[in-house]
Amino acid sequence: MDSAQQEKVRKFEEFVDRRLKPDLVHAIGERDKVFEQQKIFSDLRRNIENLEKNSVTSLRMRVNLGSEVYMQADVPDTRHIFVDVGLGFHVEFTWSEALNFIAAREEKLARQIEEYTRLIASIKAQIKMVCEGIRELLQLPVTEV
Amino acid sequence: MEKKGTVTQLSSIFPAEEAQKASKRVEEAITERQQQLNQIKGFIDDNISLINLVQKLPDETHHNIMVPFGKAAFFPGRLIHTNEFMVLLGEGYYAERTSKQTTEILKRRGKALETQVESLKAIMQDLKAEASFFDATAYESAEGLVEIREDYVDEDSSGTLPTAGYENPDSTSLEVDNRKGADEDEEYERLKLRMDELEREEEEAERANESESSDEDEQTQNEANSTISQNSMNQEVRSSPVEASDVPGVSKDGSSHGDHIALNNSTMDKALELPQDAKKVQTPLSSSNTAFTGSIVEHAHNIGMQLPEQRSGARSSKPVSRFKMQRK
Repeated sequence: MDSAQQEKVRKFEEFVDRRLKPDLVHAIGERDKVFEQQKIFSDLRRNIENLEKNSVTSLRMRVNLGSEVYMQADVPDTRHIFVDVGLGFHVEFTWSEALNFIAAREEKLARQIEEYTRLIASIKAQIKMVCEGIRELLQLPVTEV
Repeated sequence: MEKKGTVTQLSSIFPAEEAQKASKRVEEAITERQQQLNQIKGFIDDNISLINLVQKLPDETHHNIMVPFGKAAFFPGRLIHTNEFMVLLGEGYYAERTSKQTTEILKRRGKALETQVESLKAIMQDLKAEASFFDATAYESAEGLVEIREDYVDEDSSGTLPTAGYENPDSTSLEVDNRKGADEDEEYERLKLRMDELEREEEEAERANESESSDEDEQTQNEANSTISQNSMNQEVRSSPVEASDVPGVSKDGSSHGDHIALNNSTMDKALELPQDAKKVQTPLSSSNTAFTGSIVEHAHNIGMQLPEQRSGARSSKPVSRFKMQRK
């Protein structure tokens, strides 16, 4: 009886280690990526709002040419922004259009994040269940004595 | 003949599995270094392309570009002041440089990267050698190779190959070590025989030739030559009989030859008395170098009996050796 139980315990442990834990790690990685995107867009939104507030029409920037070598760049007209809308496309927006777009984008990202959070929670719950099962199996032989 | 020897299974010193594990670890280290190498090579490529860009930009006063604004947006704009570059020197320090100066900075960076690549490559070479050694050891120990060590026991017969102690029936897998040990025993035998002959020659020469005068200068020459001959014997036991006969040929006077013999004899006597392990022949020979001076003075009148060719067969009733047969 003991050997059969130990066999079951071992199988559960294997299941946890091989299926559930990597799944958890994977899901967390995906969620982090979405977090990053969200941060990028929120930064962009804040910048555009700043531009609008200060009515900045032209900019002087330093552009990174690679390996931290910068060069001065002049933006004569800041009213038109090209925003990345996914799939390799950039759309020319005015400020207000850009802000609208960014708002919609952020909503979508928030929904994605929530989905990932739910997935991660379910995986964690499964791991907990299997651990409990193992503990039950192991405790019974101990208490029976 | 009794030989005390130890037979050790190579697998007991280097267990097969452990050798394999060690080999795997070294291989992992190798892959790590390989990745680092690739990364640094990527950096070098980036550097080169940046150098090209920096050299091309000053060709125009303005360049129309899309200026990035964060990670997800661009502004149409132009690059101005195309000869002025801001280069990061590290720790938050920037330097404003022209195109040529920036090129120089980047070239120096490239050189530093190259040296890193070289050192990484050297490390990888060493690791690879280690890995191959572990592989070979694992293979050998898996084959059941045996290492046999035996103390050399002084014998009077011509060096026969030690027949006891071979556990591994497969003769092809016997390592060079075993064969070399047997060969060195043989050589030592030959050496010993030679020494005996030289002793006898010396005695006869003393008896036979007492009229020759010794040359002081020759003696110093003898010292040098004898040292040379000793060293050559130290280094190549195998060729010692040949060299012992060659060296006297170099010195001019016949009187010097006897000194050689005396030196050689005294050396070899000492060598015999010292611990018998064949591999330790070198130490006794070198340690008795300082005694030569005294012996030169003693045997002042010895005449050249060293050369086998010169010798008129004066010896008889002695156990015949190869060298004597050569002479005759």
